[in-house]
Amino acid sequence: MVNTGLPGRQKRLSDLLEERYPHVICNDGSTHIFKKSELEYLASLLDIDEQKALPLPMLIELGANQAEAAVICEGEIEEKVVSKALNMPVKCKGMRIRIHKPQIALLRKKLKTATVYVFSPRTVTETAKPSSNHLISRPMGK
Amino acid sequence: MPELIRVRPTKIELVKLKRRLSLAQRVQKIVKDRLSILTMEFLQTARDTSEAKRKLLDEFAELYRALSVAAGHHGYMALEKELIATEADLRTTVGSRNIAGVRIPSFELTANTKPKIGYSLANTSSWLDRTAQLSEESLRAIVQLAELQRSFDLLAMEINRTKRITNALEYIVIPALQATISYLNMKFEERDREEKARLKRVKVLVAQG
Repeated sequence: MVNTGLPGRQKRLSDLLEERYPHVICNDGSTHIFKKSELEYLASLLDIDEQKALPLPMLIELGANQAEAAVICEGEIEEKVVSKALNMPVKCKGMRIRIHKPQIALLRKKLKTATVYVFSPRTVTETAKPSSNHLISRPMGK
Repeated sequence: MPELIRVRPTKIELVKLKRRLSLAQRVQKIVKDRLSILTMEFLQTARDTSEAKRKLLDEFAELYRALSVAAGHHGYMALEKELIATEADLRTTVGSRNIAGVRIPSFELTANTKPKIGYSLANTSSWLDRTAQLSEESLRAIVQLAELQRSFDLLAMEINRTKRITNALEYIVIPALQATISYLNMKFEERDREEKARLKRVKVLVAQG
């Protein structure tokens, strides 16, 4: 029930930058709109190829371990974005970037519409096995 | 003492109750997580709202100062005459976004690609330009504040709702399930003891017989 507002599909940053009203459709049928200022901020951090590869919105997974969360990532691009947003180096392990609770607030402050929360009953761990290799075509929140 | 759930005292019901308890505990964990995230977002929104309000008041003060100077320089009549033809082509993108299951409105003032100045630049001073620029900034701040204020209200309402769910789970649902499970366990133990006593009695009677 808490994950019903998740986007049905992620879109690439380059595609969103071209849209007049950048948005994604959520599983409950509503729309999640992106702020153009945030997309421009993300575009300023990345080059053209990276913009084509960055899936949005980025998913922040909250597991049973309340002290930590993880940003679900495909590769180094999310790592770069999160590093620059938090102003500190982060590492992507097992398709997850582990961050602490206070860092979520920092990340959310900079990327309000470009990130969404996913609630997961399992513990967020380094060795968490990814459910899919290709997030872009994966329906979420089911 | 929590109220017992009315169920038939059978093993199947006990298994069902145990499953319900495990589910309720998992849901409680997720709901608590959600509550902590909503609280974090609420506090951040509160900070942003207060900052946006302060910024808006500062901008208004500066705007009125600039407007007073412009009015003093041109005179009210001349200023009104100049501004009567001013057209503000302002567009706001309105949508919604999702924070942990809460639909929050999102407003964004769409920037004009070609800013249209309605008044004559030749007949007016730079004070009026400054006033126009400050009023645009104030509009942006108003839109931002509107979004934050609404988010603040919606998040507060959702926190209250989630707190009620957490409390219901913590103080009513889970204790009731635990009490019922423990009651059923005791009932089954009692049945076992009765069965043992009955068998002993039958054994004695058979031995005597």
